[in-house]
Amino acid sequence: MNEKTPPRRPATFKLDDPGVVLMDPDDSGRLSRGAIQIVPEAEPAQLPVPVDAPLLPARRGFRWGTLFWSAVAGLVVLGTGLGVLNLVEDLFARNEGLGFLGLALAIVAAVALAVVTMRELVGLTRLATIEKLHLRAAEVLISDDRAASRAVVADLLKLAHQTPQLARARSALQSHTDDIIDGADMIRLAERELMTPLDEEARRLVSSAAQRVSVVTAVSPRALFDVLFVFVASLRMIRQLARLYGGRPGALGMIRLLRHVIAHLAITGGMAASDSLIQQMLGHGIAAKLSQRLGEGMLNGLLTARLGLAAIDVTRPLPFNALPRPALTDLAKDLIRKREEEQ
Amino acid sequence: MPPSLSDIVEEARLSARALLDYGEGFFNPTVRLGVTGLSRAGKTVFITALVHGLTRGGRFPVFEPYASGRIARAYLAPQPDDAVPRFAYESHVRTLVEERRWPSSTTDISELRLVIEYQRQNGADRTLTLDIVDYPGEWLLDLPLLNKSYEQWSAESLALSREPLRAKLAAPWHAHLATLKPEAKEDEQAALTEARLFTDYLRACRDERFAMSLLPPGRFLMPGNLADTPALTFAPLDVPIDGSAPDHSLWAMMRRRFEAYKDVVVRPFFRDHFARLDRQIVLADALAAFNAGPEALHDLEAALAGILDCFRIGRSTILSALFRPRIDRILFAATKADHLHHQSHDRLEAVLRRIVAKAAERAEYAGADIDVVALAAVRATREAQVQRGRDKLPSILGTPASGEVANGEILDGETEVATFPGDLPDNPEDLFNGGFRGLSSSGAEAADYRFLRFRPPKLERNGDAEPALPHIRLDRALQFLIGDKLQ
Repeated sequence: MNEKTPPRRPATFKLDDPGVVLMDPDDSGRLSRGAIQIVPEAEPAQLPVPVDAPLLPARRGFRWGTLFWSAVAGLVVLGTGLGVLNLVEDLFARNEGLGFLGLALAIVAAVALAVVTMRELVGLTRLATIEKLHLRAAEVLISDDRAASRAVVADLLKLAHQTPQLARARSALQSHTDDIIDGADMIRLAERELMTPLDEEARRLVSSAAQRVSVVTAVSPRALFDVLFVFVASLRMIRQLARLYGGRPGALGMIRLLRHVIAHLAITGGMAASDSLIQQMLGHGIAAKLSQRLGEGMLNGLLTARLGLAAIDVTRPLPFNALPRPALTDLAKDLIRKREEEQ
Repeated sequence: MPPSLSDIVEEARLSARALLDYGEGFFNPTVRLGVTGLSRAGKTVFITALVHGLTRGGRFPVFEPYASGRIARAYLAPQPDDAVPRFAYESHVRTLVEERRWPSSTTDISELRLVIEYQRQNGADRTLTLDIVDYPGEWLLDLPLLNKSYEQWSAESLALSREPLRAKLAAPWHAHLATLKPEAKEDEQAALTEARLFTDYLRACRDERFAMSLLPPGRFLMPGNLADTPALTFAPLDVPIDGSAPDHSLWAMMRRRFEAYKDVVVRPFFRDHFARLDRQIVLADALAAFNAGPEALHDLEAALAGILDCFRIGRSTILSALFRPRIDRILFAATKADHLHHQSHDRLEAVLRRIVAKAAERAEYAGADIDVVALAAVRATREAQVQRGRDKLPSILGTPASGEVANGEILDGETEVATFPGDLPDNPEDLFNGGFRGLSSSGAEAADYRFLRFRPPKLERNGDAEPALPHIRLDRALQFLIGDKLQ
């Protein structure tokens, strides 16, 4: 709103006045100049509230499993430490030079372990930050809370700082942070500004992984290779997606991410099977008729794409609201086009 | 004023009661929700909409326990106090939904108990009892009197009545006051006339054109069952603040009655309904003040500040819960937000934030959580864009109540209109610096803001079930007020 315009005067129009025209929201026809047009807006209260499947199943109760693994890990560390200590002592007993060498190696190993652990921890915290950001953004989309939306956007900008290609989008978004924008709209704005280039890249990543999988499984001689290759390609795709959206998962982070992706797939899988997947499978049953290997390759590619979509949902710091969620059909189209080009 | 014996006794009674409540609440947690607001702020409608939404089911996406389905059901239960009338919830709903009228002005106190059955996030079944009290908003203005002496109150009331806008309305009373000598012998007839003229002046201030808020004592406007008793037959006199009254003088009589008013009316009211609150929502009708003018806005600010000083606010601790319950969450709500397009809600919130700035700061300092929200407990309008020539006005559509005036024409209560009430300024300070004209200083044509009163919405009935009442941000208010108790 421009501050220089003087405040507008109050005005009232009776709907049954001849000079007043009530228009349909969808109807955009122009009327004569003199008439006063009234366009009712869609009531937010009557718009359907999007209900997203929860990203993560709610945790509850004391986490005994975590406690168990932590304790076991502690024991293993203690055991290894003891073993190394004994080894170094033995080495010293045999020869002083060997002892020092052993000690030096042990210290190097310890330092490297510390650094690796540190990186893992940082990676895990980053993943947790992104997950929390996602939840907070989803909350703001419902509550329309301005203060909370500002906080989310500030955190998002901090996160996006590590992605150089977002520099321009970041500064554009920064210039809007002081405008009068409602909470939910602010989140949508941030999504449009920051996520558009990333989403495109993510889609490219997923479809290229799917293509690779479909080609390799179509030509590979053994089922074992198929499985191995699909696994490796999926891991690589998930890691790339996480990096793209600002996470830097290490080994532990990957495990955690993989768990969430699979959990998410389990929740949304039912929905997917009911619509696009079945249709795709039936369609490519024809391909399978033509060649069994070709059909298998296609199916594997689609499954990989499906996994990629779940991974996007989990790694993306904002829920899909202003931008369309990439659909399996789009990716499948990519896949088929590629295949046709090859043939 | 040093604490008198009666203050200390009062304090002890409050503590004893709090201890008793704590014992009861141990097994059956109870939240006392204070719905605070001056008259016409919308307390009754807020309570009705809240109870209706929870018992019949409403659209509350932001109210987490409700939206996630953890609230199994909510129902009305017999209230705890046998001497207080029951809140006429059913008849208020009927008035709103069937007759499409707002409930008439509250004349007496009433109470309601709502029991919410819910499941905690860890799976345990629990119930939460919500006690809500409705009362005439005028009575609230009495609370600041508790800390004042008769002489103090007289001086303040007189100073206020000599402000330019009020002086006109107070002229008959001032004329009579000039004939009285405070030191003269007590005279029942003089007191009666004086009280009557004073009451007339208060009543005149309340007119829609002036919309004054700061009009103590409240029982003069809404006497309840105490009408015509000596406790309500007094008025300010022109007396020095530190003087003492001669025996059997008019002054001494007035003073005695003022003290009686505090003892008989104000203290029990405060003790029974305000001393033990856990959560509070302060409703304020800023739009009526915009209609009237800057004076009304200042008046609203002063009235709210005086009232909020009386509450016990601060972080709850075990000790405070035992002996001196405190309010640990306050929500300031600008009601009737449906009379504005939603683009202006942020600005309305900013104005309210400015009105309650001092009180909010004090509450935050004491450790309470505060929030400000623009809400409409029952949404009476829809939104629309009006294209007039080049202008695009964000407007609202609705049916104004019969008798409302628009463009110099009296509406019949059936015609639907689109109205653009005027632009609220970006910076709320502009309003407080007297930068706008209201009905109190100019005609309806020149006023900068015009908020019509709309009738409640027409609801589509779906089968037998009663329709849900539309609202604006009622769910957010609920989430803030009791969401954490339903974790």
